[in-house]
Amino acid sequence: MTLSDRIESLMATVQKPVRYMGGEFNSVMKNPDEVDVRFAFLFPDTYEVGMSHLGMKILYHAINRRPYAWCERVFSPWVDMADAMRAAGVPLFSLESRTPVSEFDLLGVTLQYEMSFTNVLDALDLAGLPLRAADRKEGPFVIAGGPCAFNPEPLAPFVDLVALGDGEVETIEVVDCYRAWKASGAPREAFLQEAAKIRGIYVPSLYDVGYHPDGTVASVSPRPGSGAPEVVRKAMVADLNSAEYPEKLIVPYGEVVHNRIMLEIFRGCTRGCRFCQAGMIYRPVRERSPEKLMEMAQKLVGATGYDEISLMSLSSGDYSCLPELAREMVERFAARRVRISLPSQRIDNVLTETLRETQKVKKTALTLAPEAGTQRLRDVINKGVTEDDLVRSVTDAFEQGWSAVKLYFMIGLPTETDEDVLAIAELARLVRRCYFSVPKERRAPGLRITVSASVFVPKNFTPFQWEAQLDAETVVRRQKLLRDALREVKGVDFKYHAPDVSFIEAVFARGDRRLADVLERAYRLGCRFDGWSDQFRYDLWLKAFEEIGLDPAFYALRERPVGEVFPWDHLDCGVTKAFLAREREKAARGETTHDCRKGCVGCGVNRYEEATACGR
Amino acid sequence: MRAMIRFGKQPRLRFISHLDLQRFFQRALNRTGLPVKYTQGFNPHPVMSFASALALGWTSEYEVLDFGLSAPMGRGRTEQAFRAALPEDLPVYEVRMVDDRHPAPMALVCAADYAISLSGAGAEAALQAVDEFLAREQVMAVRKTKSGEREVDVRPLAIELVRDGAGLRARLKLTERDALKPDLLVRTLADIAGAEEPEARIHRLCLLGADESGALRPLMSL
Repeated sequence: MTLSDRIESLMATVQKPVRYMGGEFNSVMKNPDEVDVRFAFLFPDTYEVGMSHLGMKILYHAINRRPYAWCERVFSPWVDMADAMRAAGVPLFSLESRTPVSEFDLLGVTLQYEMSFTNVLDALDLAGLPLRAADRKEGPFVIAGGPCAFNPEPLAPFVDLVALGDGEVETIEVVDCYRAWKASGAPREAFLQEAAKIRGIYVPSLYDVGYHPDGTVASVSPRPGSGAPEVVRKAMVADLNSAEYPEKLIVPYGEVVHNRIMLEIFRGCTRGCRFCQAGMIYRPVRERSPEKLMEMAQKLVGATGYDEISLMSLSSGDYSCLPELAREMVERFAARRVRISLPSQRIDNVLTETLRETQKVKKTALTLAPEAGTQRLRDVINKGVTEDDLVRSVTDAFEQGWSAVKLYFMIGLPTETDEDVLAIAELARLVRRCYFSVPKERRAPGLRITVSASVFVPKNFTPFQWEAQLDAETVVRRQKLLRDALREVKGVDFKYHAPDVSFIEAVFARGDRRLADVLERAYRLGCRFDGWSDQFRYDLWLKAFEEIGLDPAFYALRERPVGEVFPWDHLDCGVTKAFLAREREKAARGETTHDCRKGCVGCGVNRYEEATACGR
Repeated sequence: MRAMIRFGKQPRLRFISHLDLQRFFQRALNRTGLPVKYTQGFNPHPVMSFASALALGWTSEYEVLDFGLSAPMGRGRTEQAFRAALPEDLPVYEVRMVDDRHPAPMALVCAADYAISLSGAGAEAALQAVDEFLAREQVMAVRKTKSGEREVDVRPLAIELVRDGAGLRARLKLTERDALKPDLLVRTLADIAGAEEPEARIHRLCLLGADESGALRPLMSL
């Protein structure tokens, strides 16, 4: 029986077999004999989650545009399929050609979320590869990218390469470097040394980490003679108008989380919210021109048949020509019944005008993220919105016919008090009042307010990277406070989670290389799909920490002194540590920092020659 | 005017559910760039229907999609647009343009031909039960419906049934009132033989309707 037949017979026995099917419209097939480099792109979560990810679509297209390379997709099989595969001896396979992952040249892994790390190990194991790079004498080189690549240390022993920053350019450079290395017949180490010269590529095995007796990092430095740089600068695309972007998108058969055209209107964010890692590591802001976006939209609508275009970015309301773009898109595509949508929306005045444009075609729940309940705390986190902004946005939305509002908050932000948390309930009450302030005949019936409160996780490369995470006991107490307060507000649905997942996430977000042992142990004990609440096993995680002899609180709950060397200090994400430190001090004083579109705030990214649009 | 498209579903795509296939074809219709007719109302969608839903796991070379056009369109262009809008595992075999008075394919279907290959324990026993099945005047079997289980006589629902190597070829009734699904046929044969239900690969060969004389003919030719 061929591998494909064996996969087919397993598919008949598992949930959602479409996940493992492949053969979607616009998926790319090539003749393996006609390509030099076979690239497996692993998204370490389910098909439905992975197929909603824009970065994978961009890289899939960029690699497959090269006639000498073939990129195929790999997703984490859900636990039923993974178990069935193990029992039947079926290795992890690519969707396009159903080739075992172990037969590929390069295995790219995107790290979107710390809680997918055990799935990376599970994928390696299912592929029949040794988990540790040092034990892999053959088979694909593993290259990790995505936001968590900015602190890859807990995964350092398992991966060969880490790609920092914009993947469009550096991934192709790695493919080309591999192709030259393969033709040369040089040993494996030679490829790593060559790849380490590529801008944005970090090769963990070429660096030594020293520790102080207290467990903090003393130094991270390249091995003498390795040729690896002291500091690895991220890769950066200077101009998104000329950057690679797919002209075709794979159209999944089953439903996936985001099943629509995703148009990235700009990259980066200048708001400077102090908790937000994406807002720091994706700097500077680079916009695509409206003309380019219209051209891309036109092609993608024709190539996919989708009836929805989502204008994506970290803060789409900040796009400089948003009203014009939205209006033009609505007009251009109305006849084809294509809706235009904005993902999570910010509270500010640009929004109001944009809403009028987009609501012509669609009305979903209005999503707003005040993040904190009081103005004081919003100033601390530099979330530059006021209660007036909120009132204006929701009142306007209610007048335009919206009746559902989702409000996102965090619990455990630095300097937070019980009063800050209770103020969240006041905001919900305020939103309710705004709804009833609109005359009955003008508003849509059925007000729904959803308040979601996540647990704050201090991330590396943010001004809060020195801060301790709030202890679980206090988190639970404040969640309860808020829950009770929200019970008094009619029609509010409150969503929150146990703090244990966020605790493990906080450990790995700012973890060091020693955590690799904990990760492997937790995986061996059975942890996988940790981001799925029905799979997360806190008990096994704690057991893993205990067995390895590391204290998770050391990583998550300890305020780190100024001057401590961080495990990621040898990586350059664009903004400087000095800027982050300044922002932290301003946070402590409750001072805000303006959006850098209104003047340079000195974050340091303008040291990069590609940051051409950035105030020098 | 309307177009009827006969297409196939290859083994690779046999796990796509009918609902997912419907959504897929909505997008495929958009990709064709043809002047597809849409429903009126708050949430417009293409005016389209399938002759018969294909169960999860089955393959076919005779699925029929029918959709409305808001402007006249040639057969050649329609076929070309469809070939470009479908992946290779959903091949287009035939296209026919019909006018709006032509009955919906769903209303025309009264039978289907299947090739059923059997494997595993019970396969041979089930095959050997074919003669017994055909010889009986009545064969009771339990049919699962939305409203529950119902015991029906399936014998008259099997119009033709022959053994074909390691499998079966069957012409089975397929109307809204009376239908015998090939998986139930296999289970019934296994029951007759007192054997374990074999693993069945089911492939639809043809959908049939009745012509003026009542004779069964392939749907696309009616």
